[in-house]
Amino acid sequence: MTNTATGIVRALNSGIKHIATKRFTLRYPEEKLKFVGDGYQFDPSTGVGIAGLKGRHMLFHDHCTGCQLCSIACEGVAEAIAMVKVPEEQKQNKKSIMPQIDYGKCVFCGLCVDACPFYALYMTNDYELSSFSKEGLIYTPAQLAVKPYVEQDSEIVITKNGATHG
Amino acid sequence: MTAELPPGLAIQKVDERIMTLNVGPQHPGSGHMRIIVQIDGDYIVACDPDPGYVHRGEEKMAEYRNYITNIPHLERPVIHDSCNVLYPYVLGVEELLGIEVPERAKYVRVICSELNRCIYTMYWLAIYGIFLGHSTMFMWPAGDRELLIDLMEKISGARVTHAHFVPGGVRNDLPPNFEEVCLRQVNYFEKRIKEYAAVFYDNPILISRTRDTGVLSREDAIRLGTTGSVLRASGVDYDLRQKEPYDVYEELDVHSNVMKEGDSYARSKVPWLDMMESCNIIRQALQKMPKSGSVRVKLKPNPKGKGLDSVYKRVESGRGSLGCHIVSDGKVEPYRLKLSVGSFRNLIALPYLLKGEKLGNMPSVYWSLNYWPVEADR
Repeated sequence: MTNTATGIVRALNSGIKHIATKRFTLRYPEEKLKFVGDGYQFDPSTGVGIAGLKGRHMLFHDHCTGCQLCSIACEGVAEAIAMVKVPEEQKQNKKSIMPQIDYGKCVFCGLCVDACPFYALYMTNDYELSSFSKEGLIYTPAQLAVKPYVEQDSEIVITKNGATHG
Repeated sequence: MTAELPPGLAIQKVDERIMTLNVGPQHPGSGHMRIIVQIDGDYIVACDPDPGYVHRGEEKMAEYRNYITNIPHLERPVIHDSCNVLYPYVLGVEELLGIEVPERAKYVRVICSELNRCIYTMYWLAIYGIFLGHSTMFMWPAGDRELLIDLMEKISGARVTHAHFVPGGVRNDLPPNFEEVCLRQVNYFEKRIKEYAAVFYDNPILISRTRDTGVLSREDAIRLGTTGSVLRASGVDYDLRQKEPYDVYEELDVHSNVMKEGDSYARSKVPWLDMMESCNIIRQALQKMPKSGSVRVKLKPNPKGKGLDSVYKRVESGRGSLGCHIVSDGKVEPYRLKLSVGSFRNLIALPYLLKGEKLGNMPSVYWSLNYWPVEADR
């Protein structure tokens, strides 16, 4: 009986001690997490990626040759990438086709980035992609070329009083 | 009316005293499955688990995709434990293609898989807490998981479904000064999970509810073919990381946690002890890891197997032994892929454990089997 009583008191005490500790909650969207690097990238010369968040893609128009390798890589995964005609003419892109990505289908695995041999497709830290319509989730090559601005202000800080987002 | 229903859906009337009760599939106490229990008053007479509500045909899908594009969908069965689900597949494909993996990549894999094991177990523990009506035990693990999810996000760029393991190593190297951040957060995480003892594991209320309920004896655990924490809670010292070490586990000091009781309490405590062991392994791996070097072997596009060949690999996942059998016929796709998962093996013990128990003990016995419905259905 005494064991039961002390056990319950100890359990309550353990909970009460946490009133003094800091709250471990990220108050999104007032606070936003900090990431490592500029998003997931891939170096075809070494065959190894560079750590970063797998967010929305970034397309470099001056590197893309319209080879469709990213689209082929996506075929068995999500079929999110379609090659579309672009009005501009690039020297290296004879067919004038570039990837258009449907974020309603994309699973953010980043295999398309691994497939690109021309340093044309990277991923960025942009993860806020919500839209009111399905069409709004389809990003054209022109939209993909814009480098996003991502707020990053808080990371996990561990103090004596517990972990917190600061 | 009942004659027209397909088999399994018809409710049999057995006796005047005995009532048949459907728990699930839309019930918070069952997960994505149905448990058909026959009760006599408050006591369970018979129980028939009915999985299959989230079957997605992962094995068939794998036959139509090449070895690399199989990666994102094969980790879907357990998104919290996605590195461990992918591990046997990746090891198998490496053997099929004859790839030697760099030393550093092996250590990165061990770190990722141990982090994933903790992430999964914390989620499981949170659900276990709320099944028993202990809402503190739901909030604490759900919050403390964030420390490790943050580490996985730094490594792989995704909070769940990392798609980080590939045949030939891992997708990318660890970010700069990751070791320091990892050590700090893992140490704090270990300190936190030790605090769960007073509030949960040594709590007399939990002990009185779970001790001596659903006892699985050592002989039955072996006979029924259970694995992982269920097997170890019944007194069988069997951990694949120790018995059949893969990658660099043989260079690390792995201690397996064994309890003799075989009741719900032991089955819920073993995964918690395993998390502390995982923290130890992560610390050892960070220390022994080569400080530089490649982490991925460059593969040809669309790698092919060498003729007719088959390989079976298994790893210790958060739910026990997880095996992957790949048959190759020399094409870019596997000819056949079979996942043998721990969840399904442990579910077979449920009818034996629930017989004679009170209905109120059903959630604690059921969830202590470390069962994940989506993985069992594949």
